[in-house]
Amino acid sequence: MTAFRSSTGAHPRSDPRERLMGGLLLGCTALAVASAAAVIGALGLETVRFFADVPLSRFLADLAWTPSAEEPGFGILPLLAGTAQIAWGATVMALPVALVLAVFLEFYAGKRTASVMNAAVAALSSVPAVVYGYFALNFVTPALKGVWPGLEAFNGISACLVVGLMILPTIVVLSREALGAVPRSVLRQAVALGATRERAVLRLALPAAWLGVLGSVVLAMTRAVGETMIVTLAAGNPTGVSWNPLEGVRTLTSFLAQASMGDLAPGSIEYGACFAVAAVLLLLTFGMHALGRALVSRGQADAPGGSRS
Amino acid sequence: MSARDEGTRTAGAEAVPVLSAEGLTVRFGERTALTDVSIEIPRGYTVSIIGPAGSGKTTLLRSFNRMNEVIPGSSQAGTIRFAGRNLHSAAMDPAEVRRRIGMVFEDAALFPGSVFDNLAFGLRARGEEGDLHGIAEAALQAAGLWSEGAEILETRAGDLSAEERRRMCIARTLALKPDVLLVDEPTSTLDPAAASRVESLIHALRDDYTIVFATCDHTQAGRLSDLTAYLDSGRLLEYGPTQTLFTNPRNPRTEFYLTGRLQ
Repeated sequence: MTAFRSSTGAHPRSDPRERLMGGLLLGCTALAVASAAAVIGALGLETVRFFADVPLSRFLADLAWTPSAEEPGFGILPLLAGTAQIAWGATVMALPVALVLAVFLEFYAGKRTASVMNAAVAALSSVPAVVYGYFALNFVTPALKGVWPGLEAFNGISACLVVGLMILPTIVVLSREALGAVPRSVLRQAVALGATRERAVLRLALPAAWLGVLGSVVLAMTRAVGETMIVTLAAGNPTGVSWNPLEGVRTLTSFLAQASMGDLAPGSIEYGACFAVAAVLLLLTFGMHALGRALVSRGQADAPGGSRS
Repeated sequence: MSARDEGTRTAGAEAVPVLSAEGLTVRFGERTALTDVSIEIPRGYTVSIIGPAGSGKTTLLRSFNRMNEVIPGSSQAGTIRFAGRNLHSAAMDPAEVRRRIGMVFEDAALFPGSVFDNLAFGLRARGEEGDLHGIAEAALQAAGLWSEGAEILETRAGDLSAEERRRMCIARTLALKPDVLLVDEPTSTLDPAAASRVESLIHALRDDYTIVFATCDHTQAGRLSDLTAYLDSGRLLEYGPTQTLFTNPRNPRTEFYLTGRLQ
């Protein structure tokens, strides 16, 4: 029994209820670990099989991702490029608004304003992705068409805008936490040295919190990379690579969503290709998530002190 | 120190006091921190504010450089004058007030970056374009942080000891060349040896500045100040020459406090 071993002897291990509890906890933990291992194992197995048929060099160097074509292309780069476009585009749109919101909520908003705006931000994060997707396709794209008549029905810019809206709360909440970790006494003493509050916020609080803010951006981008529904619905699924935001974009996730709707024979190359893409996606989000978390916790550890005595 | 010799003069009798409060009442929301406090700080004197925890010492200090108004929910009645001018008149820029009436806080809050960055912060906020290094050096020397030479400028503020942090915060304030120095608990959170060294620093600064400091340690008030104010539950119960107040307090509560018998 490893869980909740009592060191004080107040709850002897021989107590049957203690043992039952310990067993339950251990069981739950084992279940979670086993599930994760199963997912990674299945993914890894199919990915290895795929690479037995298709050399890694083609996966990295082919300039098209068309596994079902007559002359198939197995290059991951077009999908990575599409994912990068959506993730960067969404971040570029969300970041300025999110940062201003975070600063305003943390340092300027009165209690009532802050609680209303917090509720609004929380509401944004509770909207299901599929609703965002329809919003992008049926509202944002038609609205943008008024600005650019040449806009395609499926396009990158609409997806970027709406994915940006979706990741906004992540940046706001986590950046605000990072800003909140800057001791109030630092700002107060800056004001006491004749600085305006704006100067104290811009020159002291933001630089002091920048690691945490950066972490929040990386975590938000992780969400954008993994985002599927919005991109599938709004950005289409073109096979070509385009850097024009007015045209469609295909990402790792939207390819997978599309492929999973067709009939793929288990064991076929197309089938294996999906697992290879999924493995890349997993590595990418896993790595970015770890980086984002590390930045956030590093930022907390580095938060400049008033003397903490 | 004949100018401060308490026997030859009564406080603030001849000249306009550098700071004065008249009927000062400060509230934070529902809580009243100071009630009807009137006090005069004569130029060149060192004044201590003593009293039990929560008696309003810090609030009184902060009202002298308009730092209470940055706290949400604070309100104030009464008049504070700086060299005869109303501190809250429209012509008074609060930032300028805070530069001329500098404050050293109880906790040494560090700004990101080096010691130089910390000292330059207030200077840059003022729009100072002159020799920032020269000003920083003079301030660090005055605060006793220059013994190791110029390398202190590039030291990360976070790498300083508690005593050095306190000295840096004092230097940060001195760099702005204030007329008055407000110091809240000059030596709290320092070990006894460091506390006594920082106290010597404050003692040395008495020659150049009017100093008002708050302290829980009334023996420190006795060692450092010319005049002592005793605050109790937000009221100024007694104010006068330190010697007199300590040896012959008029108010029984002052005596209780000084002798550790206050209930």
